[in-house]
Amino acid sequence: MNTATHVQDAIRDVVDLHRNRFELLRARPEPKLGYVSIHTPEEILLAAGAIPFRITGEQAYTNDAAARLSANYCSYVLSCLSEGMDGVHDFADGVVFVNGCDMRKRLCEAWACDVPGHSAYYLDLPGDATDLSKAYFASQLHKLIATLERRYDRKIVHDALGRAIETCNRSRALVQELDRHARSGRRVLSGGETIGVVKAATTGLKDAFNERAAALLGALNTADSLPQRRPHRVMICGSYFDHQGIIDTIEETGAEAICADISNGAKYFEGRVDPDAEPVAAIAAYYLDKHTSARRLDTDVRMRHMLELVRAYGVDSVIYYVLKFCDTNLHEYPYILQRLQAEKIPVLFIEGERNATNIAGTRTRIQTFLEPLIT
Amino acid sequence: MRTERREGERAAQYQNLLGLMGEPHGDRAAAPDALIKAIRMRSVMNCHRLAEAYRETSKVAYVSEQFPTEVVFAAGAMPWNIESMAIMLAQSVDVNRIFQLTQEKGLSRDICSFLRGPHGMMLANCYPTPDVVLTNDQPCEGLAKQMCLAGKRFDVPVIAMNTPESFDEDAIGYVARQIERMRERMAAELGLEGSSESLQRAVAFSNDAREYYRKTVALLETHKLPGISRELQEIFGMNYFGARENVTLCKALYQAAAELAKAAPGGGKRVIWIGQVPEETHELLRHMSREVEILYWAPLWNANLRSLDETRSLHSIAERAILYHWNAERMSVELERICDRFSVEGFVIVNVWGCRNIAGISPMLRDFAARRKIKHITINVDLVDRNNYAFNHVKNRVDAFLELMQ
Repeated sequence: MNTATHVQDAIRDVVDLHRNRFELLRARPEPKLGYVSIHTPEEILLAAGAIPFRITGEQAYTNDAAARLSANYCSYVLSCLSEGMDGVHDFADGVVFVNGCDMRKRLCEAWACDVPGHSAYYLDLPGDATDLSKAYFASQLHKLIATLERRYDRKIVHDALGRAIETCNRSRALVQELDRHARSGRRVLSGGETIGVVKAATTGLKDAFNERAAALLGALNTADSLPQRRPHRVMICGSYFDHQGIIDTIEETGAEAICADISNGAKYFEGRVDPDAEPVAAIAAYYLDKHTSARRLDTDVRMRHMLELVRAYGVDSVIYYVLKFCDTNLHEYPYILQRLQAEKIPVLFIEGERNATNIAGTRTRIQTFLEPLIT
Repeated sequence: MRTERREGERAAQYQNLLGLMGEPHGDRAAAPDALIKAIRMRSVMNCHRLAEAYRETSKVAYVSEQFPTEVVFAAGAMPWNIESMAIMLAQSVDVNRIFQLTQEKGLSRDICSFLRGPHGMMLANCYPTPDVVLTNDQPCEGLAKQMCLAGKRFDVPVIAMNTPESFDEDAIGYVARQIERMRERMAAELGLEGSSESLQRAVAFSNDAREYYRKTVALLETHKLPGISRELQEIFGMNYFGARENVTLCKALYQAAAELAKAAPGGGKRVIWIGQVPEETHELLRHMSREVEILYWAPLWNANLRSLDETRSLHSIAERAILYHWNAERMSVELERICDRFSVEGFVIVNVWGCRNIAGISPMLRDFAARRKIKHITINVDLVDRNNYAFNHVKNRVDAFLELMQ
C-alpha cells in the first residue's frame, strides 16, 4: 500500500466515526446526552459517565419543526428540532442546551414540550469573559453537576473531572496537530475532510476518536510527501456550516476551502482546559475564553480572532456564510465587511440553508467571486 | 477612543431628524376627554427629552429597551432608547429612505425592522451622538448586538451586561454585580458619578411612579377604560422610571383612569395584544378597536408591577431585569394571572417579521389559549417597514377573528 492510500484510509477511519455515530452510540451502555452548541462543557458530561454527542441537524425535512417554531427560523435549529421530534436520537437520555442564541433558547423550550422522553438541561452562556461571567458560568456548571449526580446516582468527583479534561484535551491536541499542517501551508485534508474530522471529535466517542486521530497523524508522519497548499485560500466564516456542495464548488475552482472560523472548525478544538487549575473554574474559563462566535457581545473579539486565522492560514479571501435568519451573524456582517475590506480581503456574502440542495445560484456566485481572484 | 464631539454635531442631527420626520402619515386617535391631560403631558415630556438629548452639553446614554434607567438617571445622564425611537420612524413618510440606507450598507432585510430602523437612523445621522452605550441583552440579542455596534460606530465606550434567564440567587447576584461595575466604569471613564444618594433618589422616583402605574393597572382589572392600556404601553416603552417627571406623568394617568372609572364606560370584549406594538394610529389598531377592547400585554407583566427594594436596590433591579426575559414557563404563569384578572377573551399574537422570540414562543401561547378556550389569532406583520406588510393581507383573517369574538 502506498503512503497516500494509507493516509486516505486513516482519514476515512476518523470521518467514519461520525458517519456511523448512531450505530456506535446505540451499542454503548452509557447514557448519551446531546448538545447543540460547542460551548457545552463536554468534560462534565463525560465525568458524569455519559457520552456527549453533538446534534448536527442533518435532517432536511423540517416542516413539522417549522410549524412548531416558525418557518422564519434558522434551518440548523429547525433541523435539530426535526430530528428530535422524529426520534432520531431515541438512544439519548437528554439534551444540554447552552444559550448559544435566542433561537436556541426557544429550541430548548420546544424540545421540552415536543420531544418526549428526553430531559432538557439549560445553561446560560454569558456574552463576555470577565471574571464575573466566569464565576457565574462556573456556578451554573456546579448546578449542572448536581443535577447529573442526582440523575445518574453517582458523585462527580475531581478525579473524574480531571480524567475527562485529560481526554478532551488529548482530542484537542490531536486535531491541533493535524491542523498545524494546514497552517504551515500543506493541504493534508480537504475542506470537507476537515469538517468531517471535527464532527468525528464531537460524536462523544472520545477514546475511539483519539486512537484514530493518532493513527492518522502517524500515517501523515510516515507519508513520502504531502500536498502543498493551493494558490488561493478561501476561509469560510459565519453560522453553522457543513455544506459539502459549497466546499466542492470552491475546490472545483482550484481554490482551497479553509473551514476554520466555524463551529465545525478551529472554534471547536482551539486551546485547552488548564489541567492544573480547579476543574470547574478551569472548564468555565476555557469555554468563555475561546468564545468567538457572533453571540459574543463585543464583535471586536470575534474580529481579532478572525484576522488571526486569516494570517495563520494565509487566507486570501473570505466567504461570509450565514444561515438565513441567523440574526447575530446578519447584524455583524456590515461591520465585519468594513473591517475585512480595510485589510484588503475580498468578501463574498452568502445566505443559505442548513440542508439546501439546490445551490445552483450560490455556485454561480462563488465561481464569479473566485474566478478573478485565482486567475 | 473619541473624546470630543464636533461643534454643532447634535444640532445638525436634530435638524436631520426633523427633516426626516416631516408630516406623520397617520390621523390622531380619538381619546376620551379625561385622558387628554395625561396624553399631552406625555407628548410634552417626550418633546422635551428629545430636544434635551440634542443639546451639545447633555450626557446621552444609548440604552436598550428594558434597561434599568434608574442607573442612568442616578449618573445624571439621559437615556436614549434606540429601539422605541423606531416607532417614531414608523410614522414618518420617509421610512423607505431609511431602510434603503441600511440595505446599501449590507444589513439584511430579514432582521426585525425595530432594529433596522434605529440602524438606519444612525446611518442618516439623525440620532444624537451618544457619550456612552449601555446595554443588556433584553429583550433580544439582536438589540444587544445593534447597541454594541452603535458604540463602535460613534467610537464611544460600550458597557454591556449579561442577563441570565435563570432566576436564582446566583443569577441575581451576577446581574447586580455587573450593574455595580457598570456604575464604576461610568464614573471612572466618563465622569458620570452616580453616588449612592443619587441612586437612592432615582429608585425612590421609580417607586413613586410605579405606585401610580400599579394603581392604574389595578383599575383596568375592574373597569374598561378606553385609552388607558395604550398609555401604559407608552410609559412602558418610554422606560423613564427613575426620573422625577415620570412620577407626575404616572400620577396624571392614574387620575385620568380614576376619572374614567367613575363613568364606568362600556367596551367590547377584551383581547390582549401579544408582541410588538405599532404606533397608536396604526390601521390594525383602529380597525380592531371598533369591535374589541385591546389590552397590551407587556405593560401588565409582573416585572412592570414590582417596586424596587430601596435597601437593596441593585439586587432588586437585577431581579426585575431577569423577569423581563422571554421565558415560556414564566410567561405562561404570567398569562394565567393576566387572563384571570383582566377577563381576557382573545389573544392577538403579533408575529412581527424578524422577531424570533415571539415566533418561538407562539406555540406556548397557542397551546395556552387552546387549554383555556381563549380565541386567538396569529398575524404576521411588519409594524415599521411597510415593504413587508399590507393591511389587506391580514384584514380577512382579522375580520374572521373579530366575528368569532362576537
